[in-house]
Amino acid sequence: MSDESKPAPGGLLNGLETQKTRRVNEAARSLHPSAVKDLLSLGVCERCILRLVTVTATFDSDLATVSSSTLRGWLGSGVEEAASPEPSICIVCLGVLQFVFSDAKQTLVKSDHVAWITDLVKQQGHEFDSFVLEVSLPSTISENERAVLLYLKGKYSDEAWLQSEKVSVKDALKVLVLDPLRASLGAKSDSSSFHIRLTYSQASDEAQGLSETKHERKKRKTDIPTLADFSSAIFRVFYADEENGSNCMSENPFKKVSEPCILSVHCNKMPIFFGGRYFKYSRNVSQSRWIIDDERMGEASVEEIIGGSILPACLGDSYKFHAAGREDIDVRMLGSGRPFLIEVQNSRKCPSQQSLTEIEEKINNSEKKLVGVKDLKFIGSECWAMMREGEAEKQKQYAALVWISRPLEEEDCNSVSSMKELKILQKTPIRVLHRRSQLERERTIHWMKVEKIKGNAHYFLLHLCTQAGTYIKEFVHGDLGRTTPSMGSILGCRAEIIQLDVTDVKMGDS
Amino acid sequence: MLFSFFTNSFTEEFKFQKHDRHLQLNTRSKTNLIPKKLKIEIFQSSLHQEEDEDELRKLLLSDIGELTLSPPSATQVNFVSYFITDFTKPGHDHYIYRHANGLCVVGLAPTHIAFKDQGGITNIDFNVGKSDRSVLKVSGKRKKNAMRSESNTALCKVSTAIDSYIVRCCVKGSLLEVNERLIKQPQLLNSSADREGYIAIIMPRPADWTKNKESLITLEEYKDKKQDGLLEPCLL
Repeated sequence: MSDESKPAPGGLLNGLETQKTRRVNEAARSLHPSAVKDLLSLGVCERCILRLVTVTATFDSDLATVSSSTLRGWLGSGVEEAASPEPSICIVCLGVLQFVFSDAKQTLVKSDHVAWITDLVKQQGHEFDSFVLEVSLPSTISENERAVLLYLKGKYSDEAWLQSEKVSVKDALKVLVLDPLRASLGAKSDSSSFHIRLTYSQASDEAQGLSETKHERKKRKTDIPTLADFSSAIFRVFYADEENGSNCMSENPFKKVSEPCILSVHCNKMPIFFGGRYFKYSRNVSQSRWIIDDERMGEASVEEIIGGSILPACLGDSYKFHAAGREDIDVRMLGSGRPFLIEVQNSRKCPSQQSLTEIEEKINNSEKKLVGVKDLKFIGSECWAMMREGEAEKQKQYAALVWISRPLEEEDCNSVSSMKELKILQKTPIRVLHRRSQLERERTIHWMKVEKIKGNAHYFLLHLCTQAGTYIKEFVHGDLGRTTPSMGSILGCRAEIIQLDVTDVKMGDS
Repeated sequence: MLFSFFTNSFTEEFKFQKHDRHLQLNTRSKTNLIPKKLKIEIFQSSLHQEEDEDELRKLLLSDIGELTLSPPSATQVNFVSYFITDFTKPGHDHYIYRHANGLCVVGLAPTHIAFKDQGGITNIDFNVGKSDRSVLKVSGKRKKNAMRSESNTALCKVSTAIDSYIVRCCVKGSLLEVNERLIKQPQLLNSSADREGYIAIIMPRPADWTKNKESLITLEEYKDKKQDGLLEPCLL
């Protein structure tokens, strides 16, 4: 085989032409005339013939320009002209490589295929400058190809062109469609987060071409075996043993394909992430949507307030809220805020930093002041690292309003402040015991500080810094003695927690 | 080489200055190395930090309007109290605190006959019936290996100086936990039977609970029934 180097970019048009014609002529010379005649009479399209019969390893757009009539011309006289006015649908590729397909309503698409696809992509409204093309074909196409190859092997065994690796229909389609689509959409086609998927599906449930796979049969709603089933079963018995393929059939088993495939175009963009820190100023707002028996618990949720503002700006389909930890509905999140991520699925456009700042201000200045947001910005692939960062070493700071059954004394403040790295053992609190395992967890209280409240000796503000995963409420009131030591046992009296606020969520070193 | 030495010392000095909240400007030559804009920024950020802390304090104390003398306890807020009196035998009064999530904490009500004995309760033994209730281990979220108990399944035996009494489950469901601290400290039952002296935690099925509920009485009804002044303030 001669060295087929691709023509240099920007080479002379004449130079390109001669390269191209040389390759086409090479391909023409390597064709086996009677095999081609056979396939033509079976109803295989010219591109599939070139795919299956040539020896050249690559199938590119040069070969694609070879039309049916040119092919017949190469074969010389003696080939009967096709009597049908309309080109028939290829029995192997089911019209895919001939760009014959129907739209969703099963009407044949007459316009140029590239323009049609471009229209559908533009309709979905995405902003993009690069895309990745994905193609999905019905599985019968590979079955058909296998059957045709077996038939050819049976007739022309051990020919050189039979042994080489064949370009699949999917690859051939991609080669044919990619360049014109690139030009039409005005975008590059390298690795990108925007995917365009072309899905070909069969119009009817009848076995087209030769056989129907089990996978597609499962999709059929009824389970009644039809004549198609039996015939395909028989063919499968024949084709199962490739060596005996030559003994199989005496007559043409390949049925004519009546309907082309239905092509649908879907665009999907990989999810994008926004991050920041949120504050929760209300004691009646849950972190995520909480609905029991069709009734919402709490007034609103942080997830809905933040996600509901970002989603319209991105024109996305849906959002997911992830936060670095959570707090109860009646606990406020103050101080430096809790880190969170919003994941938007299939966004149509990416909002600018300016619009993100506007969204942040809108949430912060809203009438009810339930939730606040800080540092809202677009985050790339490092988002999960950010969430996991320092998870084990996360320390949280709280401020709790505590009541005790006896008046507070000076030595209480001192004894509490002097306890550093206090180890406590917590059994699973009763309030979560129904959905969590019964475990005894050891946690550390790094430091505590008592702040007296003027005019009331039974109440004080307890500031504490604890290890992640500590149940603060249970530490204060003791949870019926299941958390030891508790605030009550340290002070030697009954202690109750009136309210709790989170004042800091430390992430790693920040 | 001299140049690199100079830049190294410059960057180190620079870092030191940046982290210091109150800028320590040692010598004039070093001051000139810090651009004026950065100095202002560092000063402003420390101001902001103080402002933020003030804001936080205001928020923390904002809800402290009226502080009641004796706020309701955690058990009163989170649990609904039920009682059952004279269960299987006269004088055997129990309480059942039911949490919003369905779990029930079971224990001895203050009018239980065991408290009337001189010296109160001295011992508790969980090894009754067919197995020792204190060694059961429930695993996982689905609470595997929990003992399924009926309302009259024996839970434990409390002994006083005079007599011993069997305590029963009162609720049909899975036994999740018994209070094994009582083994070492039975006096918890005398001092705070309604808090640290609880006997067991049981998880009833919703269907079982609705049936069971009919035989229980509420706190109000209990107070009415036992109006002969045996109630302790901690129950209120």
